[in-house]
Amino acid sequence: MNAPLPKSLWRMFQRSRVGRSIFRVGLPESNLERSQAMVSSFLLHIQPAKVNKHSLKPGYTLGLGLISLYLFFILIGTGTLLMFYYVPSTERAYDTMKDLQFVVSAGLLLRNMHRWSAHLMVLFVMLHLCRVFYTGAYKPPREFNWVIGVVLFLLTLGLSFTGYLLPWDQLAFWAITVGTSIAGYAPIIGPKVKYLLLGGNIVGQEALTRFYALHVIVLPAVAGLMLSVHLWRVRKDGGLSRPGEAEDTVERIPLEALPQNKSYGLMELARGTTPQVGKNPEDEVFSWPHLVFREMILFLIVAAVVLFLAIFWNAPLEQFANPIHPPNPAKAPWYFLGLQELVSYSAFWGGVVVPGLLVTALMLLPYFDRKRVGVGEWFARERWAAISVFTVCLVAAIIFTIIGTLFRGPNWGWVEPWKTEQPPALEEH
Amino acid sequence: MDTGSVRKFYGWFTVLGLLVGGLVVLGYYKDEYREWRQYQLKFIAEETRRATTPEQKALAAAIPVGVRQIVLPDLHRVDRCTTCHLAVEDPSYGGYPQPLAYHPLHDQHPFEKFGCTICHGGQGRATTLADAHGYVAHWDQPMLPLRYIQASCAKCHEAADNPSAPELALGQQVFEQAGCRGCHKLGGVGGIFGPELDKVGTRRSADWLKKHFLTPAAVTAGSGMPPQKLSEPDLEAVTLFMLSQTGESAPGYYASMRVIPSADEGQQLFQQKGCIGCHSVGGQGGKIGPALDDVGLRRAPSWMMQHFRDPQSVTPGSVMPKFGFTESEARALTEFLVHLKERKVASTLPSLISPIDRGHGTYVKYGCTGCHGPDGRGGVPNPNSKTAELVPDLIHVADGFTKDELKARITNGQREIPSLDPKRPPPPLYMPPWGSTIPEAEIDDLAAYLISLKPKGENLGF
Repeated sequence: MNAPLPKSLWRMFQRSRVGRSIFRVGLPESNLERSQAMVSSFLLHIQPAKVNKHSLKPGYTLGLGLISLYLFFILIGTGTLLMFYYVPSTERAYDTMKDLQFVVSAGLLLRNMHRWSAHLMVLFVMLHLCRVFYTGAYKPPREFNWVIGVVLFLLTLGLSFTGYLLPWDQLAFWAITVGTSIAGYAPIIGPKVKYLLLGGNIVGQEALTRFYALHVIVLPAVAGLMLSVHLWRVRKDGGLSRPGEAEDTVERIPLEALPQNKSYGLMELARGTTPQVGKNPEDEVFSWPHLVFREMILFLIVAAVVLFLAIFWNAPLEQFANPIHPPNPAKAPWYFLGLQELVSYSAFWGGVVVPGLLVTALMLLPYFDRKRVGVGEWFARERWAAISVFTVCLVAAIIFTIIGTLFRGPNWGWVEPWKTEQPPALEEH
Repeated sequence: MDTGSVRKFYGWFTVLGLLVGGLVVLGYYKDEYREWRQYQLKFIAEETRRATTPEQKALAAAIPVGVRQIVLPDLHRVDRCTTCHLAVEDPSYGGYPQPLAYHPLHDQHPFEKFGCTICHGGQGRATTLADAHGYVAHWDQPMLPLRYIQASCAKCHEAADNPSAPELALGQQVFEQAGCRGCHKLGGVGGIFGPELDKVGTRRSADWLKKHFLTPAAVTAGSGMPPQKLSEPDLEAVTLFMLSQTGESAPGYYASMRVIPSADEGQQLFQQKGCIGCHSVGGQGGKIGPALDDVGLRRAPSWMMQHFRDPQSVTPGSVMPKFGFTESEARALTEFLVHLKERKVASTLPSLISPIDRGHGTYVKYGCTGCHGPDGRGGVPNPNSKTAELVPDLIHVADGFTKDELKARITNGQREIPSLDPKRPPPPLYMPPWGSTIPEAEIDDLAAYLISLKPKGENLGF
């Protein structure tokens, strides 16, 4: 069989002196080399040499976590390039937006990619969280990784929210004004938190400086670190969840029970949920190519979607921020509009109690719902109670978000989006 | 190894790789072939067509294609209009269709110093037709229609001082005489019923303004402003004057250039700055400084210029303050003083006229006309007021008020206007307190003027 042309070219390079110095294994031919390829490459060693077939089923994970990760990479890449032009000054930030659009090569495309990736990342991190819940993948031993996941979800919101202010247009200014005033409703610490975020009482240069630093250094660094822990824990907790894994797990012998005068190899010290290579060999396939190729295909799909959105739809840019001309209604970013809708009923209950309880409940969930049933299975019947409660909260959040996004007009009054209304004349008095 | 399933991957890689590659090419194409490129190519083609010698043809072909911009840090602008309007400085392009037309006035307002948007509006940083001309969502300053371009002169020039902007001057005159200030503040002077007009030009379009003057309630629901009866030229002019109110002024270099130095301008400055307080002309005025009647014979223009810049530098020990005149203001004043002899200015200087005449000026200046009518003849509707549902005329105030009572009324206003029918809403217009706006001396003049309105000899009839 003749190898396809790219493959033969690749092989030529790989056999050259330079190629051999870079790739220790090269394109693997045998199963041994397939394992070596995974283990000996820095980029691939994060993943196991063999992977359970169940983990590869597109219908199980839907690729949601990986999509979020890819969006994070795209955001870092485009964001770094945008930083070469952006100036975090209230006087110049808006002008740099205009320059990106009108004179910087591919500037508009970069900004569009960054914007749409950011929205998509918030969406896909939420979907990933739902997937993990509905497949019971947070149950022991993955409790702590779920908590890290919730933290990553909050970091994603923080990254998106801090980035929202940077264009310094009306949309940015008023969304952050509304968003931070929701933070200010918390008792005792609320006003302090708001003051800390804004570096003052109103959104101004200090707020822009702080949001910029948070957006480009603090939050990406923390998110990157947490992400590494998240991925590392996936492997240490036994790979992706799958049905019947509880029975697969070898009972861990406590260290104290082992003879103390013997030296132990690393494998002997590893936790019991480490994937058991060879226990059910017919369930497992080599990560190269089955996992790695699927991951590459998913990346191409994500890249294509983001490019497509960025080429045909421009990121919004409204008028220069004007603190004395609030739009009516002033709206927070879409993922906070459910919250804003709740705040319109009661600042304290909607802005503090409900979101506070929801986040706490999410964090503590795996420590209460810890029975290992229905793991690795979508909507397991045995878990009907937990699934019902979660679904009710989720549907409520979606409904409030839709109301806040589409059905709220001037003075947060009820409007029906299908009725095209005359925009109210700007009143000067 | 199951080669079939690996084959399947290569198919996916090919399809998706081509898709991503195609999108990257499409993104590059959209980014690279921007709208302005076609105009630049058109310009180069025209230059090539005109070229007769091979050298000229080579020059035309070597015109670089790229964004052109005028960076104006003092004006907080970057104007990229010349990216498409490539021939604005080349008179041989006079009469060409846009975007290649020649733009006159380069001598007075060199484009490399002024850019384009300071006069024409629009979005200087933009490089597409729709965005640059500003007729897009989220851009509040679209291009000023050429019909109203004189409005931009007011960013630097006094309305009355620019002979090239007669309509602007007319507009200001209409504004001052129609009594707009009775309700609206402009430059901090005026009434409190209507909104301030300092930046109205950035908020309102010409069409809106015209509708607003003729039928205010049609564009602002519930507006209490009375419809204005304006002739067509006056309507256009006052609209233009409103458009000129942008609150924007040009600093630094532009400020020093803004006065068109002339003896007329000089006379106006002479009156505004209160020179007559210390100096006398025609025997009228202060005695602190020397009389100025023959100063043009005694002093050289260069001496006067230096004197305006820094009086002590040419007259040590002089008590005249440094007024901080700009160069062109100093030139205008010098021009005025040199020609003082032939101008007979004494009779037109403000401190030399009677309190009643000054009071009339005050009456017009603060827009009393807006409610009480020209010369106090009344007539503006004030629904449900006891005075025949009109703002009362002022012809007979002398019968009901002493001068001091009148001054108190002007100073303190009258908030409650008696209603004709208590069931209907109270009258919308009332007398605002003017004490904080009009200086006391002017209120005194105003009272004198109002008392003088009573027709002479009327009492004899009783």
